[in-house]
Amino acid sequence: MITDLLPQLTQFQVDDQPHIILNKEICQSCEHRACISSCPANCYSFDEATKRMDVVYETCLECGTCYVVCDKEAVDWNYPRGGYGVCYRLT
Amino acid sequence: MTKHFDVIVVGAGPAGSLAALKLARAGLEVALIERGKHPGAKNMFGGLLHNTPVLNEALPSFRERAPLERHVFKKTLAFMTPKSSVSLAFETEDFGESPGNGYTVFRPAFDNWLASEAVSEGALLLCDCTAEDLLYKDGQVNGVAIKGRPGELRGNIVIAADGVLSFLAQKAGLRRNHRPEDMGLGIKLLLGLPKETIDERFNLSREEGADISFVGTTEGLPGGGFLYTNYDSISIGLVLHLHSLKASGKTPYEILDKFQHHPQIRRLIKGAVPLEYSAHLIPEGGIRAMPPIYTDGMMVVGDAAGLCYTNGINLEGINLAMTSGALAAETAIQAIGAKDYSARMLATYKDRLKDSFVLKDMTTFGKATDMMRVGRLYQTYPEIVCNILEKIYRVEGIPRSKIMKLGRQEALDRVKLKDLIADGIKIGRGLL
Repeated sequence: MITDLLPQLTQFQVDDQPHIILNKEICQSCEHRACISSCPANCYSFDEATKRMDVVYETCLECGTCYVVCDKEAVDWNYPRGGYGVCYRLT
Repeated sequence: MTKHFDVIVVGAGPAGSLAALKLARAGLEVALIERGKHPGAKNMFGGLLHNTPVLNEALPSFRERAPLERHVFKKTLAFMTPKSSVSLAFETEDFGESPGNGYTVFRPAFDNWLASEAVSEGALLLCDCTAEDLLYKDGQVNGVAIKGRPGELRGNIVIAADGVLSFLAQKAGLRRNHRPEDMGLGIKLLLGLPKETIDERFNLSREEGADISFVGTTEGLPGGGFLYTNYDSISIGLVLHLHSLKASGKTPYEILDKFQHHPQIRRLIKGAVPLEYSAHLIPEGGIRAMPPIYTDGMMVVGDAAGLCYTNGINLEGINLAMTSGALAAETAIQAIGAKDYSARMLATYKDRLKDSFVLKDMTTFGKATDMMRVGRLYQTYPEIVCNILEKIYRVEGIPRSKIMKLGRQEALDRVKLKDLIADGIKIGRGLL
């Protein structure tokens, strides 16, 4: 899948401060977790064993899909600090 | 440190940079702030820069100076099923005549260039700056605070060109939370292919380009596929209605993967090398989803103002964005001349938009959003069309029906008459 190639294809300037912070308790009880399937960069995953939601903000394309599909206000989503995050070259 | 500007433009995309250019040219002190390392670093779109009169007027020689890929003179609309396709292709040499009907461009290059034109007119471009909050004075917007940086930028007017999510419009109380119903998710893969191969496969020469829109490649989800030819690469991607995507539980990249593997697409992109993958939201809610676009001390332009429309055939945003940027700049020039930055003064921005093609087209196709949500458009109808054509062309010694009878049979086999009529009305209201 193309998302496996994402770190090679698209450039990122990774900030040490995450720009996405989840309220994981809300995610735990969420019945759809649509962020996992909808995110075009496949940043979200849910570990069934530990019942833990995880987000890899490092390869986020900053589209805001997760923030818009979350109907439980569990995604605290902001733009990264200036200069950080995705950096398109061509596209 | 506080510096006071006449106007602060937030976001160096097409709307923001064209606004900054016009303001600087009028002699105003303008700050153009951009959160990317350079303008365009955060931006993507399908690929087509539509002919935009305000751009041609502001920069008459843009054709020679802007980083353009190809001029698109061939437009195709294709209805697809997993094995077949029916296309309607239109081409005309006239689309190549100056100023050109549309060009494929790369946003990191085009946006960077347009911002540099604003800088040469005197705008101050500040990259690496994310506007985090609005500042107020006497109840009017009067500047912005920058994330992770001390100090503030003050200006009499703020133009929010901060993109589809526009946190600034939200902070100003102009819009509430975004709804997935009003959004499309665009994803795109850029594929490298030698120019000669592209010319051969798409029957192009010199810098001619092709644009193909696909219906039926989204696994039944409202949306479509696109393919644009660049100079030596191809942009291929999808736009998916976000609410439908969410409800389906499907992943956008798996739908894209299947699209790329469609037999007819596979032939077009054979041997291509993936170069970049990108994604962006599109404000697809039409005129009914537009927020108020001005308040005391502030105007909202481009995607941030929800200025984008699609009726299934046209998909326009960048031209609406630049036009809104130019009109907001005109309004700001007048407001600063009168030293009146109130909502009442800035309301003339909305009037200007109403007089332009921007809000006229969005009104004309205001009901197209209903049509675009007709689920059968994205799978059933392409299948019916392909089946009819297949029955017309297939030769196998079985007696034929006339076309009308064949069409009626194919359609009624798949869709109830009352649904056909209901869909027909929606499509009619949207387009006819």
